[in-house]
Amino acid sequence: MNSAPLLELRGLSKRFGAVQALEGFDLDVQPGEFVTVVGPSGCGKSTLFNIVAGLDEPDAGGILRFKGRGCHARELLGQVSFMPQRDLLLPWRNVVDNAILANEIEGANRSQARAKALSMLPEFGLTGFENQYPHQLSGGMRQRVALMRTFLFERELMLLDEPFGALDALTRSMMQRWLLDVWQRHRRTILFITHDVDEAIFLGDRVVVMTARPGAVKLMREVNLPRPRAPELLTSPEFTAIKREVLDAIEEEAMKSFLTGTAAAP
Amino acid sequence: MSGTSAARGVFGAVLILALWEVTARGFALPAYTLPAVTQILGAVWEHRAALQAAALVTGFEAITGYAIGALAGIGMATLLVLARPLRAGVLPLLLAINSVPVVAWSPLVLLWFGVGVSSKIVMVALAVGFTIFLSALAGFDRVDRRSVDLMRSFGAGRIGIFWRLRLPAALPLIAAGLRVATVRSLIVAIVTEMLGAYGGLGWIIYQSVTLIDFVQVWAAILVASTLSLAFFGAVGALERRFIFWR
Repeated sequence: MNSAPLLELRGLSKRFGAVQALEGFDLDVQPGEFVTVVGPSGCGKSTLFNIVAGLDEPDAGGILRFKGRGCHARELLGQVSFMPQRDLLLPWRNVVDNAILANEIEGANRSQARAKALSMLPEFGLTGFENQYPHQLSGGMRQRVALMRTFLFERELMLLDEPFGALDALTRSMMQRWLLDVWQRHRRTILFITHDVDEAIFLGDRVVVMTARPGAVKLMREVNLPRPRAPELLTSPEFTAIKREVLDAIEEEAMKSFLTGTAAAP
Repeated sequence: MSGTSAARGVFGAVLILALWEVTARGFALPAYTLPAVTQILGAVWEHRAALQAAALVTGFEAITGYAIGALAGIGMATLLVLARPLRAGVLPLLLAINSVPVVAWSPLVLLWFGVGVSSKIVMVALAVGFTIFLSALAGFDRVDRRSVDLMRSFGAGRIGIFWRLRLPAALPLIAAGLRVATVRSLIVAIVTEMLGAYGGLGWIIYQSVTLIDFVQVWAAILVASTLSLAFFGAVGALERRFIFWR
């Protein structure tokens, strides 16, 4: 890819009181790329996401560029479609009305947004559930509604923060393949946080391993495995080779953070 | 409520009323101690016209004051949530006013608003207003920080977040406050009437005591508690109908 990066982060730092969450973090994300981020717990992954989502301002000195233009983090509010770890569906809204929440906030016509959401239900495996409320859905379905809400908020950059973290292994691997499928059709740029190394390699064009706190880039690994990716890939020698490399890097950092006791809070 | 628990409730009530009747008749208790149930029901029937008129007055005061108080309480809580700086200045003052039992204000309110219906409406509005204000404020504050962040990331401003997140999230607590306030509104209306009024159930109770007509006192109490239960039940039914997601 030789086009200009969609997102450029240079020397990004963030300190909360005595805690240096990020220090000198660098990353470029190309349009249409699927980048996964792994790291030991408490390595500042969520801080990174909060900055890119526009919720937190990085400390002075770092560079944040979006679509080739330098900007403050807060200018990214409403520009990036963000999906937090928990689905955070609103219990008083049914599936369709939860899915169109972001569109409603940007002032879209409600009935048009609903029609669009209805047409997307089959793709998200939610056909027939449009009028159900969150408490009537399983964990996997709730997660798909949250993903649908993220997809309907049509922004070039999507931030997914451990979207499948709470799901059981089987549902999780189904959701991963499904996400790749949807991503291949919609071709958005995705930045995806996970704890799961298999997931990071299986999904990503590139895996970013973060150091223990303060968070920086430990390893940047291209995943040159062919797409579409099938589950058999997980046991292939190419996959295993990448996995060993990534695991070694994580192991080193986890040891470091364990010894210095900074692994306390995620 | 399931069929069996409703049946049990009715059975319990009938049992207590029967015991009451037998005790009052069996020991030939004087009316100022405890009149028999049938005596009270007889008095209700006998004075039905006067009691109905009084119930209308008290009901009007309670419901009008309730509506004003509920709107004012929710409105004030909304204002303090949307205009954060105001909160630090106004909240302590409101809490100080609320720390005095509402009935303590009644002599002043009677002085300012007269012996008529309006002083009762003001008292009820005060009592209900604070109850709803506090439950609404607690409800608005209770939202998940991560939900607020999610809405912000979608580009929502303070008003958008209030309308789409804080208000609906607070509804269960507001509704619970509204339900509790129904009973409070009638209590305050009746107590204020007893301190000075031209009509109403509290006024009947007060008059009947001075006339040593205790059966009439009981008759008015019976009507008042029926009114209170009906109001409580109606608001509770609305709550169950609209707050379906709890």
